[in-house]
Amino acid sequence: MKFVDEFRDAQLGRVLAGEILATVEPGRHYKIMEVCGGHTHAIYKYGVDDLLPANVELVHGPGCPVCVIPMGRVDDGIAIAREPGVIFTVFGDMLRVPGADGTMLDAKAAGADIRVVYSPLDALRIARENPDREVVFFAIGFETTAPSTALTLKRARADGISNFSVMCNHVTIVPPLRALLESPDLRLDGFIGPGHVSTVVGCRPLEFIPADYAKPVVVSGFEPVDLLQSVLMIMRQLAEGRCEVENQYSRVVPYEGNLRALQVMAEVFALRPHFEWRGLGFISQSALRLSDAYRELDAEVRFSVPGVRVADPKACQCGEVLKGVIKPWECKVFGTACTPDHAIGTCMVSPEGACAAYYNYGRFARERAVV
Amino acid sequence: MTDALPDYLCTCVTCSDQGIEMRVVALDPGGLARCRANDADDTLVDVELVTPVAPGDLVLVHAGVALALLAKGAAA
Repeated sequence: MKFVDEFRDAQLGRVLAGEILATVEPGRHYKIMEVCGGHTHAIYKYGVDDLLPANVELVHGPGCPVCVIPMGRVDDGIAIAREPGVIFTVFGDMLRVPGADGTMLDAKAAGADIRVVYSPLDALRIARENPDREVVFFAIGFETTAPSTALTLKRARADGISNFSVMCNHVTIVPPLRALLESPDLRLDGFIGPGHVSTVVGCRPLEFIPADYAKPVVVSGFEPVDLLQSVLMIMRQLAEGRCEVENQYSRVVPYEGNLRALQVMAEVFALRPHFEWRGLGFISQSALRLSDAYRELDAEVRFSVPGVRVADPKACQCGEVLKGVIKPWECKVFGTACTPDHAIGTCMVSPEGACAAYYNYGRFARERAVV
Repeated sequence: MTDALPDYLCTCVTCSDQGIEMRVVALDPGGLARCRANDADDTLVDVELVTPVAPGDLVLVHAGVALALLAKGAAA
């Protein structure tokens, strides 16, 4: 398949791995963070990290939107879902994310009308088909997903569908990156930039990383050869004393992004003053709400939500995993009390979460290594 | 590189950052298009952000919206 097969070429992967090895400075330990759940998933799925030299470490940052949702927002969503007459629509992975009082799946089992959708457009279709019900879409995702929600809201308004609203949990990528770079307990050498987020926002918003923090960034595609080539580009920047934003994924990502998408987002959304991220705490201007122009379609205006902050379970170390301070298997409950079937933390819920990705793909290799 | 695991372990149904390459099959009114990934059934996709598109074009789709035009029909 075009754009896929050539980027899964094992021989080319081995050549790139050899070139990475040639750029490594002996005695130096390199830490490169990816901040996209799709990258985390692909790294484990294809064993990309197994091809890297031992002193080149991939650190998995807060790139999975499910993983960064705080428990309080799950509880707020469930509170709306329990309102009489509401059809509450979510992406499937959110169903198993634990709140303080259970998951959305628990609420569904207890009688709430919660339905899985694959896009906000599906939620709007349900609203059209059920004019006597209130249909709420629980919107999550980075800038990749936000345009879909924005276009759906514009359609709802244009078509006069008044029984549709959105509980907006969209987050933005730059503020958490800045928070990570300011974190004293994390030393990073470079970043693998988010491919699909950059399709929307472009590469320019990442320029602060080399400019302010002197770290290289390479926006990467999602196939194994993409990731290896991106690591090589970062290693070359480090070896040559450069730090800049480079675009390995230029077959998809325009440097300026999708201007039309940005325009639609600017019309429909506004920045929240602050938003809580699981494991990272409150980060200023890191999430989106519906703009005042779309206030009548905002579920948090239409319904009463508790808005209570809930602390994560003490046993859960998702925060440290999301910051890359510990590896998934170093969490006290990884693979024992916390598994994909019985997740305690969000990183174990979504397949793109670092813990779930490692559990599904990597734990066997680690078991072999331990033996 | 390891072999792929079953689809149920590979797919993020949240869509979080997943992009799917799809081919435009036919245009529908209102900025929508029927698109197809491999041999899967046609899906209705919002193509407003990548217009103009035509049948045969390859687009990157995320959460029901085409975010990028990857190749025009003849080159795809």
